[in-house]
Amino acid sequence: MQNNLQTSFCGMSLNSPIILLSGCVGFGEEYTRIKGFSNTKVGAVCLKGTTLEPRLGNKPHRIAETANGMLNSIGLQNPGTEIVIDEIMPSLKKNETKFIINISGSSVEEYGEIAKHFDDTDIDAVEINISCPNVKEGGVAFGNDPEMSFRVVEICRKNTTKPIITKLSPNQTDIAKNAARCIDAGSDGLAVINTVTGMAVDIETRKPVIGNNRGGLSGPSIKPIALLKVHQVYQVSKKYNIPIIGQGGITSANDALEFIIAGAATIGVGTALFYDPLVCEKINTGISQYLSDQSLSGVGSLVGTLQLN
Amino acid sequence: MTSSNRETISVNDCQVLAHYKYDGEQYILTLSSSEIAQKTIPGQFVHITVSDVTAMRRPISVMSVDEENGAFDLLYKIVGEGTRQLAECKVGDMLSVIGPIGNGFRVTDKKNPLLIGGGVGMPPIIAIAQQIKNNNDYNPFVILGSEVPFPFTPQPSEISNTCPSKTHTMPILEEWNVACGLASLQGFKGVYKGYVTDLAKEYLDTLSKEGLSQVGVYSCGPHPMLEAVAKLARDYNLPCQVSLEEYMACAVGGCAGCVVEVQTDDGPAMKRVCVDGPVFDAQSVFS
Ligand SMILES: Cc1cc2nc3c(=O)[nH]c(=O)nc-3n(C[C@H](O)[C@H](O)[C@H](O)COP(=O)(O)OP(=O)(O)OC[C@H]3O[C@@H](n4cnc5c(N)ncnc54)[C@H](O)[C@@H]3O)c2cc1C
Ligand SMILES: Cc1cc2nc3c(=O)[nH]c(=O)nc-3n(C[C@H](O)[C@H](O)[C@H](O)COP(=O)(O)O)c2cc1C
Ligand code: FES
Repeated sequence: MQNNLQTSFCGMSLNSPIILLSGCVGFGEEYTRIKGFSNTKVGAVCLKGTTLEPRLGNKPHRIAETANGMLNSIGLQNPGTEIVIDEIMPSLKKNETKFIINISGSSVEEYGEIAKHFDDTDIDAVEINISCPNVKEGGVAFGNDPEMSFRVVEICRKNTTKPIITKLSPNQTDIAKNAARCIDAGSDGLAVINTVTGMAVDIETRKPVIGNNRGGLSGPSIKPIALLKVHQVYQVSKKYNIPIIGQGGITSANDALEFIIAGAATIGVGTALFYDPLVCEKINTGISQYLSDQSLSGVGSLVGTLQLN
Repeated sequence: MTSSNRETISVNDCQVLAHYKYDGEQYILTLSSSEIAQKTIPGQFVHITVSDVTAMRRPISVMSVDEENGAFDLLYKIVGEGTRQLAECKVGDMLSVIGPIGNGFRVTDKKNPLLIGGGVGMPPIIAIAQQIKNNNDYNPFVILGSEVPFPFTPQPSEISNTCPSKTHTMPILEEWNVACGLASLQGFKGVYKGYVTDLAKEYLDTLSKEGLSQVGVYSCGPHPMLEAVAKLARDYNLPCQVSLEEYMACAVGGCAGCVVEVQTDDGPAMKRVCVDGPVFDAQSVFS
């Protein structure tokens, strides 16, 4: 791995600024089926959204391709906290990368309870998902209300000493205000952004393509939205030195660099893996090359260097 | 998932070696890849980037492999934008192909495999026939159904089989010495007029009790056809495996986008078609 890719994030020392995004890489092992893919090439892997109890998830179809992106409505299918801790976590190859658990609750207390369970494990960090658009109770309901977001982060903060990253929703009026409340409540980092809610219609059946009617839009089509949100959140978070995982439609090193310049300390890759499972290596190489061309020692010196017109 | 699955799927740049169009907007595409030709088992599929403008890949089953020349064949039909773009590729073009993917058919030791394929569900069925064609332990019978003209020219068959309704066959199956019946509601020449399950029933009814106990059913095709095949298998008390389809994103088990509901001993579960399937026990899907 190129030396200048070493990045520190929420107290963790990462091999690369790339973080594989929750919901796109299962529980960390799935993409290793691919020859040439290795978790050692990314800074961290964020595991599938985990709830207290097991969830079957939503009915099919769960995905639909859209212009330059896709909708998904998985509905947080996962085996539940107990199985994740007892059966999945022991098999994680901890020497290869850092692992972040992504948690969702249906009440403030439930978020707290899940955070507490993971506090007793060797997980590297906890990402609080208050922005899932695909579940009826919880999810985005917490993320669109700064006071609810505050309470969720606050209870998790009480229950864990692990680094906490709060994942913010783009589907709200003032994302920066919400970010400020999450920081007040003790969040160590922020993930910006989760998917944008959307719909696709089948004109033959006149029904939504997605079984759950609506879904979350990801991929290149949301990149401009995500960039602006990162920029807006950064205006708040930089005052407190709270780092951001910039994400939403990153498919190349240039995309990643745009996010870093806008204020992201690390960058997330999700949907792009579906296009090219070996994309991370290309992104690493491109970032590293840019840093040496610009005589920068690491990603850190580029973060938030955006010059507004 | 255990680490024993690591590095089982490769990302290949495959050259288009041949691309033929058949009636009903069906195409047979031959691609180069020694690795896929060598490693694929019947029922596995590949995930293809169809063009520069469509980023999401499309899953297509492998129909047959040519290990000697490092090539494999796909049969697909245009149903929308992605397959329309795939149809534009020309001999010499390069396509990004991930594969081979999935749990294919588990060909059991039942001596009378009954292989039923409908429409563009024919490929995995042909793949099984190719795998067992030289194995004298097996006495397979293939039934292919299509409501558009078959993607080959049906020819009369010299191979004997017990099925009372004699039909034409698919040339490659004749070459492999595998018995076959063709079915369609369209009244094509040399083709049984009816459903694949009607022809299957005729065949099964010629078998002795002993013969029936040696039948294993393997099927791929449109959902209603699979449902009918599963019912037939249930009526005759035959083991039956079916290959399913669902919209896919990653095709490696990472996104849980491609699930189907199956019944397990622990109640209903959502299984991923890409890596838990695409082949499932018929009675766990249709009950
Ligand atoms: C394991 C597997 C094996 C397959 N094998 C074959 C084959 O051998 N030959 C063949 O012709 N077709 C096969 N299919 C179906 C083929 O993948 C679809 O016809 C194709 O994806 C349609 O894409 P489109 O853009 O032309 O159609 P559109 O209808 O425009 O597609 C819109 C979206 O829905 C998805 N989609 C639509 N229909 C299907 C479907 N039936 N299955 C999965 N995704 C679908 C597409 O991938 C795309 O993302 C297989 C599917 C699976 C899952
Ligand atoms: C199939 C799929 C499943 C997802 N599941 C989750 C999830 O469980 N928890 C979560 O916080 N985000 C989830 N997301 C959102 C992603 O983590 C990411 O924030 C979003 O897709 C934007 O990044 P991208 O455009 O690079 O994919 C999911 C996204 C996709 C495409
Ligand atoms: S397509 Fe992603 S899990 Fe099957």
